[in-house]
Amino acid sequence: MARNKVKSGNMFLLITLLPAILILGGFIVLFLWGFYQSLTDMRFGRSRVDFEGIENYARLVGRSRFWESVSATAIYAFSAVICESVLGLAIAKLFNTKAVLAQWLRPAILLPLVLPPLSVALMWTTMMNPETGVMNYFLSFVGIENFPWTAKAETAMFAIVFIDVWTFTPFFALIIFAGLRGITPDIIEGARMNGAKAWGIFWRVELPMVLPYILLAALFRIIDSLNQFDIIFGTTQGGPGNATDVLSVSAYFTAFQNLYFGRGAAIMIVNWLMVLLTAMVVVKLWQYTRKRVGGYA
Amino acid sequence: MHSRSISLLLNVLVLIVVFVLAFPIVWILMNSFKQAADVNSYPPAFFFQPTLENYKVLFDIAEAGATNYGTIKIQFLKPVTSSVIISVGAVLLSLIAGVPAGYALARYNFQGKEDLAFFILGFRFAPVLLVIIPMFQFFQAVGLYDSYLGMIWVYQLITLPMIIWLSRSYVEDIPLEIEEAAAICGAKRSQIIIKVVLPLLRPGLVGASLLVFLLAWHNFALGLILTAKNTPVTVALLKLLNPGVNFYPVVSAGLVVSMIVPICLILLGQRHLERGLTFGALK
Repeated sequence: MARNKVKSGNMFLLITLLPAILILGGFIVLFLWGFYQSLTDMRFGRSRVDFEGIENYARLVGRSRFWESVSATAIYAFSAVICESVLGLAIAKLFNTKAVLAQWLRPAILLPLVLPPLSVALMWTTMMNPETGVMNYFLSFVGIENFPWTAKAETAMFAIVFIDVWTFTPFFALIIFAGLRGITPDIIEGARMNGAKAWGIFWRVELPMVLPYILLAALFRIIDSLNQFDIIFGTTQGGPGNATDVLSVSAYFTAFQNLYFGRGAAIMIVNWLMVLLTAMVVVKLWQYTRKRVGGYA
Repeated sequence: MHSRSISLLLNVLVLIVVFVLAFPIVWILMNSFKQAADVNSYPPAFFFQPTLENYKVLFDIAEAGATNYGTIKIQFLKPVTSSVIISVGAVLLSLIAGVPAGYALARYNFQGKEDLAFFILGFRFAPVLLVIIPMFQFFQAVGLYDSYLGMIWVYQLITLPMIIWLSRSYVEDIPLEIEEAAAICGAKRSQIIIKVVLPLLRPGLVGASLLVFLLAWHNFALGLILTAKNTPVTVALLKLLNPGVNFYPVVSAGLVVSMIVPICLILLGQRHLERGLTFGALK
């Protein structure tokens, strides 16, 4: 059957895969076109386009504003993902216990994930209003008055990372929860028989076994956070000043407000390279931890 | 500690987590029913006289001059319909193009199969703006700018890879023996797929469609740049912030509208959403 399938399947394969490949192939062409644009001085509304080689990139590298964008992108993505890993693990552990409410209320974990990120951004914008926002009302109970949130450069990055953490910690919790459920009671029992205490079991057994799951979630989220546009555009639009001017927001304004399409494309290529490099490192880490625990996740 | 007090502590912790996750949504829901004065008051009003005024302004059914916003006109029904048309269209096109591909990836062995599968998943993480910048000019040139058809096509960037990936995982859940048994009975491949595989696949595909509809509903960047009149809900929401007045109450009503659809989807298919959102880690 199997051999027969491969032989007679060529025509069938072509028919089934072709529509998808055609649609996605169109995007590849656009992607390559975008790369070409990044090597030109293309501007919107001007028909003349000159090939400039790496001119756009050279100009970027020489600007401190560009490096501030690179570091804002990295700070945003890494601090969000690290906070989300720790909190996600804690929430997954909590909802994996036998507590009655943990069983009943588990669907609530999904809530932030199903909302449009832009709606989440605007929702928090209204709640973080320094004068009338409900967040500062809560903070006033612990003695913090008029916290500026997105209104001041010093706190704006904290505020948008906070929004990312609220939105995507549930994603970590769900994936880690799947990992915890793979640890059967007899594994825990075995460790206990060998004399391990509760903390010992967590550090020596549970954590190594869920680590591949944590890294898998981190892989998905680091890619999305390095590309994050909606949450930042919906709250600070890169400001105040350029405190939160991550690469994607910077590329948007360069291309669609200043109408420098070539330069905007170059910024996005840099962003894409950042995503690619980071993803490769996390994949390597993930494969390493997975090998160590032998085939889980 | 006694096990009873531990259990109490755990339940309290669960309640705290759920409060943190649910409070913002409840708060926005409350704001959407408040008068403007209550929304902008400090300390915030937890008790108030509810009103439907914000929704009336949002959907432009308030009588002229009857609201606090004078002559500002919003027609929020239009973006809601646009979002529904684009999202449903995107899901349907993805099902037509993606399910056969998912089936092929699950059932056939050919060279470079895993590479192709990962390449397809890679689209999920492509920097959308890198494609939008050239896409904008292309759409302007061929007249797809601000059209539903163009939007349904670009949404495939988000929806198609997910449908392929999920339908592949659902096909793999169907035992191969069922298909082999049908083949032994003399059924043709097309018959097997239509009469045996598709019915078994249907619950999975319904779930995958829910998830992908959700992703399409979420999208903001594509609509921001590639539409002018046929904007999706997310873009229309941001435009609500632009008028010079403090528009928080009406924005809250708009937010509730944009959130109500996804929250209904949780009720419809919590299991499927969990599986889809975790890329199949949680079955």
